[in-house]
Amino acid sequence: MSNAKRLSLTAYLSLALRNLLRNPRRTGITLATMIFGIATLTLLSALNDGWLEQMRDNFILSFTGHIQIHASGFESSQNLNDHIKAPGEVILLLQDSPEIQGWTQRIRTSGLVSLGGSSAGVQIMATDPEQETWVTHMHRGLKQGRWLNPGTSHDLLLGITVAQNIGAEIGDRIVLMAQRPNGEMVSEIFFLRGILETGAPQIDRTLALIPLNAAQAWFEMGESVTDIVIRASSHENTASLQLQFNRKLSGGGYEILAWQDLDPMVRQWLEFSDAYGLIIILVVVALVLTEILNTMLIALHERQKELGIMIAIGTRKSQIFFMLLIEAVMLILLGGALGYGVGGLLVLHLSDGGIDLSYFANAFKFFYMDPVILPLLTLDSATRILGTTLVAALLAGLYPAWRATKIEISQSLRTF
Amino acid sequence: MIQPDNSSAIITVKKLHKCYWVGSMPFPALNGVNLSIDRGEFAVLAGRSGSGKSTLLNVIGALESADNGEVIVNGENILGMNHTERTLFRLHNIGFVFQSFNLIRVLSARENIAYVCQLQGMDKKESEGIADHWLNEVDMGHLGYRRPDQLSGGQQQRVAVARALATNPKIVLADEPTANLDTQTGQRLMCLLQQLNDKFGTTFLISSHDPDVKNAARRLIKLADGQVVRKWEKIPPAPPPISKACPIKNLPLAGRIRQFLRKKRKRPSKTGEKGPTPRRS
Repeated sequence: MSNAKRLSLTAYLSLALRNLLRNPRRTGITLATMIFGIATLTLLSALNDGWLEQMRDNFILSFTGHIQIHASGFESSQNLNDHIKAPGEVILLLQDSPEIQGWTQRIRTSGLVSLGGSSAGVQIMATDPEQETWVTHMHRGLKQGRWLNPGTSHDLLLGITVAQNIGAEIGDRIVLMAQRPNGEMVSEIFFLRGILETGAPQIDRTLALIPLNAAQAWFEMGESVTDIVIRASSHENTASLQLQFNRKLSGGGYEILAWQDLDPMVRQWLEFSDAYGLIIILVVVALVLTEILNTMLIALHERQKELGIMIAIGTRKSQIFFMLLIEAVMLILLGGALGYGVGGLLVLHLSDGGIDLSYFANAFKFFYMDPVILPLLTLDSATRILGTTLVAALLAGLYPAWRATKIEISQSLRTF
Repeated sequence: MIQPDNSSAIITVKKLHKCYWVGSMPFPALNGVNLSIDRGEFAVLAGRSGSGKSTLLNVIGALESADNGEVIVNGENILGMNHTERTLFRLHNIGFVFQSFNLIRVLSARENIAYVCQLQGMDKKESEGIADHWLNEVDMGHLGYRRPDQLSGGQQQRVAVARALATNPKIVLADEPTANLDTQTGQRLMCLLQQLNDKFGTTFLISSHDPDVKNAARRLIKLADGQVVRKWEKIPPAPPPISKACPIKNLPLAGRIRQFLRKKRKRPSKTGEKGPTPRRS
């Protein structure tokens, strides 16, 4: 017995297309449902990605940078003893790297700020005033006064909440107290030159910012620093930079931490939001899947006799299976493309003004979020949405296609 | 491969049993059917509803299995085949004409015929050429681009006949092919089948209880309660000219009815009445 050959792909596509068009109303309703579902999914995903991006940007650019290089153990000890003694060898590695947008050196320690009878615990941060502007947007948060002057000036900037707590005003002489690396407690007078409002309450509540050279002289640390903070040219370069530095500085007594490692809570929150976004995708995809499954099963029921005929005249069950699967895939590709297109237009429309959630602004501050959310379409989300939908469609198409191969010819014909 | 007992037989059925079950209730459909159909025959299976005609066609057409017995079609024991083998067997050996036309709705008449050719591995151009040829054979060449819902019942059944023959099958099985047609169209269809049988020598096995179909039979096999109760052959009529073929077609309706009743009276009855000696096969 000779074998039957395969039908050409064109024949399958033609049959599938005509079968979809045999009931235009039903196909139209299914498509409309899919378009609505996928457009909604695209918009929700873009909003989710938008605010996650804002949150990440705000976290990285308000203080942390993408990568921080410390002396080993500093992140847990926060002790000035764990400092980088020769930052020059690290800085050499940073020069001319296209993956790095900027870097700065810092000294960080905890201390006390006093004005008259008022005092407050602070995080003293000393930085290079010029280099800092390449790494973070801290200078943009200047609420009053001016930015730090470079050199050994005794300029001081305070977070707005600290300033309010001790009643400080621009020009005030403020005493900072801290511990040198050798453990000696020292105090120094600084002049309040500016008040910062970064938008992150945890920073505004504790920040005391002074010039790096002044701090090095005050703490008698020479050229040493505690942090070298790096801003990558894009978020995507973070992992590769971290890997590079780990390789190049291994054995040198450094710890190289990415922004995710520096604040586990933010990392968890971002991961939770990602998971939440995935749940939304799964819910919408489940709805789309149900709709396709429903349509295909109704179509299968209606066409049972015709499929029986096709099998009777020599169509193999594998060919029937493939034909029905192609129908499902065509439906989902069309619905997916149109849905994503409509969703994309909605995102485009909203991307000018964003969605203003100022009413909840105070709640957002804790999570480094802006009150106006700008939706963001990314290749990643497009792949996620369309990929998930396609897989779902294949799954939704598999069952009816499998059912079709179980058709009993004699029962479906009924006349025989 | 099992060889047929008789080299001229294209269908050999021996002691065929088939029982349907509804819950725990058995409904025997075939009770030891024995039958042999020669190549090129134009045979009609007759019998009341429930007599087993359709089940027998189903089994011979490899659409359904049986409980017991042997069915050799074109030298192959079809009851021993698996599902895929049966599908391929049908594709290469059997053409089907169904009661309710049963064309693929989304394909034109031409595409319906070309489809089975493509299943056999022909390319599009070749299969369309064959489709055109067969559409012309059944006098439907001018309507090839119409879809089934744009054709009358008779036209659809002609297309179904063309589709059945397009793969050059050894046997055409037709189940109540005239059941959904008006009398005149049914008679025309039977004439067409007879002409194609004459012209191409394809074996036709038709089930029907339509008197016109029985009248057109060159061999009539009567089934009752799942058994063959009578088999006889008529003397084959002289082949009519292909074009305006059919004696039935040319009779006026009243004449045809009279002819049918006359013949019916002359046939031997179950009670042993004498009629014109039918030749038992």
